[in-house]
Amino acid sequence: MANHRVGETGLTDSGPSSNHHHHHNIPYAVLHGMNVPPSFMHQEGSAFDFGELEEAIVLQGVKIRNDEAKPPLFTAGRPAATLEMFPSWPMRFQQTPRGSSKSGEESTDSGSGVNTISSKTENQVEPESPISKKTSSLDQQQQVEMASDISRTGTSQNQSAAAKTPQEKRRGSTSEKQLDAKTLRRLAQNREAARKSRLRKKAYVQQLESSRIKLTQLEQDLQRARSQGFFLGGCAGTVGTISSGAAIFDMEYSRWLEDDQRHMSELRTGLNAHLSDSDLRIIVDSYISHYDEIFRLKVAAAKADVFHLITGIWTTPAERCFLWMGGFRPSDLIKMLISQLDPLTEQQVMGIYSLQHSSQQAEEALTQGLEQLQQSLTDTIAGGPVIDGMQQMAVALGKLANLEGFVRQADNLRQQTLHQLSRILTVRQAARCFLMIGEYYGRLRALSSLWASRPRDLYDVGA
Amino acid sequence: MYCEGDSWGCYLPMSLRSMGSDPMERVVKLASESAVVIFSVSSCCMCHAAKRLFCGMGVNPTVYELDQDPRGKEMEMALTTLLGNSQTVPIVFIGGKLIGAMDRVMASHINGSLVPLLKEAGALWL
Repeated sequence: MANHRVGETGLTDSGPSSNHHHHHNIPYAVLHGMNVPPSFMHQEGSAFDFGELEEAIVLQGVKIRNDEAKPPLFTAGRPAATLEMFPSWPMRFQQTPRGSSKSGEESTDSGSGVNTISSKTENQVEPESPISKKTSSLDQQQQVEMASDISRTGTSQNQSAAAKTPQEKRRGSTSEKQLDAKTLRRLAQNREAARKSRLRKKAYVQQLESSRIKLTQLEQDLQRARSQGFFLGGCAGTVGTISSGAAIFDMEYSRWLEDDQRHMSELRTGLNAHLSDSDLRIIVDSYISHYDEIFRLKVAAAKADVFHLITGIWTTPAERCFLWMGGFRPSDLIKMLISQLDPLTEQQVMGIYSLQHSSQQAEEALTQGLEQLQQSLTDTIAGGPVIDGMQQMAVALGKLANLEGFVRQADNLRQQTLHQLSRILTVRQAARCFLMIGEYYGRLRALSSLWASRPRDLYDVGA
Repeated sequence: MYCEGDSWGCYLPMSLRSMGSDPMERVVKLASESAVVIFSVSSCCMCHAAKRLFCGMGVNPTVYELDQDPRGKEMEMALTTLLGNSQTVPIVFIGGKLIGAMDRVMASHINGSLVPLLKEAGALWL
């Protein structure tokens, strides 16, 4: 007869009252389970709907099985059509779809194309959850599949239910309980999983957005830095940025240091191998040319960025302690060498001491000249009424340009000192001397690295 | 032929020697009047360094500030032509002989040739 009236039939014709209560309890429980967590009400549509739909379908399956009915509705997977036939069910499942015809009409038309599940659930869900208005097509697909799966299960079960009514009922009642517990758990897990995946997706999208913003900022900075870099190549650098001239010099200097290592090992092997003087002379001369090269590079560097040389950023901290006018102090070098160059002839000793003396005098002269430059600069910039600021600055700039000349003269002094050393000493002595110089600065550089990585508590003096 | 400083014979072309008011001639004249002559510019700090170098050695140089001389500009130009465009003040003459700009002076001091020159010119006593 009225197959469609399964629900009603089930309600009225269900056997033991326990079942009946069950029927009432289940939806309540489930519904409560769904609705109690307030988060659900605030979630976005899809999983929420899915969870609900799944519950509804499963419950419907349970319902049908218990009622031993064979609703033809499941063939199309539209249990929702029967859902509205349970007026006693609270909340959404009670709602008859507004747009569609009454359940009675639907039931007569069970095979016909009534609303799809998704639309049904939408109709039902709408009044309940203000947020979840629409379901994603993917979830709809899932819902349809899920529904069809359950419907198939439900259908097969229905068919077997017809054969064994009492057993089915009993089985249904027990399995109903189990199913419900399992179902509840599964449904809860699904909801949880869906919620988590939504949160993950949200977080990922946010991360992408922030990365995109960061990327555009970086690109802008790069553009700015590049344009500044070209500008800095020609003019005095701004604070905090390295000029292209300085960068080029740093690169050349590090290459020069590598070459230095090579020359030193050549000197070492040459000395140990007891080469002839003429062979050793070649090695010594090449080492002198090696130093000539760095002085050449420094000329260009002084022109491009004199402050880079003067502040000694291109050297290591320990070397910087001894820095004088953008490099080593020649008299210091000679002082370091004097004791190690033994044995020297008397003439050589005199030559070395006179070299030390003249380099000291030259250093003193340059230092005094630099002091006068500083004084002149101070006089230009400091004090007095600023009659013409730009004029004042222009004069000061002109004076500052003289720094390049001083660094050049200092480098010239260094170069001349090394040349003079090679003139005073014999070839063997010169080879040893240059090896000593290379090793000395190598040790200073090593000292700088060690200092940088020293354990703090060991070397810091306690308060 | 004007030849107060014989050492200058090889430096100057014949035509220039006949002109008395020629800036180069004036330079030469001034250079040979003292043992150590520095052509300088009063505001130049490198010139100050050169002066300090000689004073530090016990030498008393004669300094001509070209910016304070009415014909200084011409003389500066003449000196630049003599030495090549890259060279600039201070320019040093010892015993009437041209030594050069600061880097040449430094080099000669380091390689030990400056002191004998000074002694030879009578600027430095043992």
